[in-house]
Amino acid sequence: MLQSIWKLCAASLQDELPSQQFNTWIRPLQIDESAAPLELKLLAPNRFICDWVNDKFLNRIRELALHYHQDKNLNVAVGVVVRTAPGFQSRPVIAEPVNVTQEIPVISAPVARVTKIDLPIPKLIEIADNSVDYEGKLLNNAEELLVDQGARSTPELDVEGGLKHSNYLNTSSTFATFVEGKSNQLGLAAARQVAENPGGAYNPLFIYGGVGLGKTHLMQAVGNAMVARNPNAKVVYLHSERFVADMVKALQLNAINDFKRYYRSMDALLIDDIQFFAGKERSQEEFFHTFNSLLEGGRQIILTCDRFPKEINGLEERLKSRFGWGLTVAVEPPELETRVAILMKKAEQVNIDLPHDAAFFIAQRIRANVRDLEGALKRVIASANFTGRPIDVELVREALKDLLALQDKQVGIDNIQRVVCEYYKIKMNDMISKRRSRSVARPRQVAMALAKELTNHSLPEIGEAFGGRDHTTVLHACRKIKELQEETADIREDMKNLLRSLTT
Amino acid sequence: MINLPQQLSLSVNLNDDATFENFYAPAQTHNAMVVQGLREQLDGKGEAFIYLWGAPGCGLTHLLQAACHQAQELGLSAQYLPLRDLVGYAPDELFVGLEDLDLVCLDCLPSIAGRSDWELAIFNLYNRLREQGKRLLVAAEHSPRELEISLEDLRSRLQWGITYQVHSLGDEDKQQALQLRARARGLELGDDVAQYIIQRLPRDTNELFWQLQRLDHASLAEQRKLTIPFVKKVLAI
Repeated sequence: MLQSIWKLCAASLQDELPSQQFNTWIRPLQIDESAAPLELKLLAPNRFICDWVNDKFLNRIRELALHYHQDKNLNVAVGVVVRTAPGFQSRPVIAEPVNVTQEIPVISAPVARVTKIDLPIPKLIEIADNSVDYEGKLLNNAEELLVDQGARSTPELDVEGGLKHSNYLNTSSTFATFVEGKSNQLGLAAARQVAENPGGAYNPLFIYGGVGLGKTHLMQAVGNAMVARNPNAKVVYLHSERFVADMVKALQLNAINDFKRYYRSMDALLIDDIQFFAGKERSQEEFFHTFNSLLEGGRQIILTCDRFPKEINGLEERLKSRFGWGLTVAVEPPELETRVAILMKKAEQVNIDLPHDAAFFIAQRIRANVRDLEGALKRVIASANFTGRPIDVELVREALKDLLALQDKQVGIDNIQRVVCEYYKIKMNDMISKRRSRSVARPRQVAMALAKELTNHSLPEIGEAFGGRDHTTVLHACRKIKELQEETADIREDMKNLLRSLTT
Repeated sequence: MINLPQQLSLSVNLNDDATFENFYAPAQTHNAMVVQGLREQLDGKGEAFIYLWGAPGCGLTHLLQAACHQAQELGLSAQYLPLRDLVGYAPDELFVGLEDLDLVCLDCLPSIAGRSDWELAIFNLYNRLREQGKRLLVAAEHSPRELEISLEDLRSRLQWGITYQVHSLGDEDKQQALQLRARARGLELGDDVAQYIIQRLPRDTNELFWQLQRLDHASLAEQRKLTIPFVKKVLAI
C-alpha cells in the first residue's frame, strides 16, 4: 500500500521538480517496507541527502502523501540507512516521525551552519538494536552491496559465522609491478620473505616511511602473493579508518562479537596508515586483542605507518612495543635511477612509449614521491593523447609547465638559503658573509650544493647569490659535500632532510 | 512546484547552463584538453581522480557541475558539493555513503584547508572511492602543492591523479564565450553588443554570465532583441 503511495508521490515530484533536483534528492530515496501501516518511512543513502530532503522537501512529500493516502494519521519520516562493514547487518537510522497533522515551520536558512546542532533537521534516533522490523529489506541491501563488490572482481571471503568480506586487495599491486631501488630494497626483501613464509619470523611486518613511497604497494604485494599461492587464504587489506569504522558500527549494532570473530579469523591482516589509530583508545584496545589473537595463532600481520612506531603520539605503549616484535623496515624516497625506472615501468604498463631522456627529465624534477611521479606521467600521457604528438622532452616541458614553474618558484636560491639557515640555526647574514669558520662554512657549502642540484642557475650565478663568490668556490663546495656524504653519516642525513623539506 | 531559496539553489543545485558544451574551450587549446580529460573520466577511459585548479572566474565550478550533468546523461550517479557552503557540517556524516556514487565533485577545496576534521574526512573519502573504483573531481584556486593543507597523506593523494590547471580567458575569448553562452540560451548577441558589454562591465566571467542571464530575462519579458540601447537600459551602463 505505502509502496504505491510513494510511487504516486515520486511521480508527482518528478513532474514538479527540475530533473536535476529530482535525480539528486528524490530518486535515491527508498521506502522502508517494514514500517508500520501508517508510517511512510523513506531511507536516504547518506546523511547529506537525508538532511536536505528533511529540510526542503518533507513538507511537500507529506502533502502529497496525505493527498494520496487520505488518512490524516499518516506519519512521514526520512532517515538514513546505516551502512555497515560487509557481513554486518545494516540498520536504519530514522528521523523522528513527523505526524502529518503537525505544523512544521518552513526553513529557508542557508545550508552552511556554524555547528552541527544548528542544522535544521529533525532529531535523529536509532532503532533499537534487537528490533527485527528492518531485517528483510536491509539485509537485502547488504547482500546487494556484497554483490556489487563481487563485481569488482575482488574475491570475497567466507569466514567464521558465515560473514563475507571483500579482501580489498588491488590486484595490480604485485611484486612484479614493484620497482626495486636502494631506497626500498630492505622493505622489498622483507615483504618477499613474509609472502613466502607468512606468520614466520617477520611478524608483524611494520613498514614505515613518508607519503607515496610504495608502502601500500609492498603490503598488498604480500597479500596478492599469498592469495595467488592459496586462493582460499583469508587475507584482508584495509585502511585503519575502515577498521575503526567497522568497530564503531559493530558496537552500535551490538555485533562486536561478529567483528572480533571476523578479524581474528584472518590468515593475514594488512592495515594501512596505522598512525590514524592515534588518540582512538577504544579502537586501540580492540586492535590490541585482535593483534594478540592473530599473532598467537601464527597469522601474519602487516602494518604501514608514516613514522617509526615509537614516534606515534597518542598510541598506547603496549601497541608500540608489539609493533616492534617482528621486523620494522623503512622505505625511503626513491633516488633518481629508481624514479626513472618507476616511470618507465608505469609507461610500459599502459603501453606508452616513453623515451629514456623524457623519463629522466621528469624524474630529475619530480623528486618527492611516487604519487607525484605518477601524477606527472599521467598528465604527460594525457597531453600526448590530446595533441597526437609523441612523448619527448619538449612535450614533457609543455605538459608540466605550471608544475615546473611552481617548482622553480619554490626552490629558488633564496629559499634554499633560508631553509639551510633554519636547519643549521645560523643567520642569513652569515650565509652570505666572508666568515670561514666551520660552523658557517659547512652550511654554506651544503646550500651551494643544494642550489646546484635543485635549480638551473649557473655556477657564477650561484656564487653571486652567496655574497659574490667565485664559481670555483661553488664547484669546490659541491665536490666537498659529495665527498662528505660518502664519508660521514651526518652530512648524508642533513642532505636527505634538507632535500625532503625543499622538494615536498 | 517547490521553491528553493535562491541562496540554496545557487550553492548546491546545479546550474542548467553549466555543461561541457557551454564551456568555451576552442579546439586544440589547453582548456579543450581539460574538457576531454573530464569527459574521459566519465567514459571510464580516463583517469578516475582529477584535480582542477585555476584563478577565480576561470570556470572551475562550471566544469564540476558540467561533469555532474554529463554523468547523469550517461546514467551515472553524481554529487556536487561546494565545500565553501558546507563547512558548518560534520564532514564524516556528510560523506557517509558517498563512495556509492559514481562521481563525487568537491568544489572550493581551500575552504576546508587547515581543518583537520575535513582533511581527514576527504582523505578517507578518497580511499573509499578508490577502493570502490569510483571517481573524484576536485577544484581549488591553488595547485595541490600550494594548497595549505596539513595532512600530507591527503596532498599526495590529490597529486596522484591528473592535475589540470584551467586557464583564464583573455578578453577576446571572453567575448566569444559570452556569445557562445548567449547562443545556448537562444539569444543573438552581435559582435558590437558583446564588445560593448565587455568594455563596460567587470570582466570577470561569472559576472558577465550573470549579466547575460539578466539580459535574457529582460529580453524575454520585453520581447526585445539584444541591441546596444536595450543592453544599456537593462544593465544601466
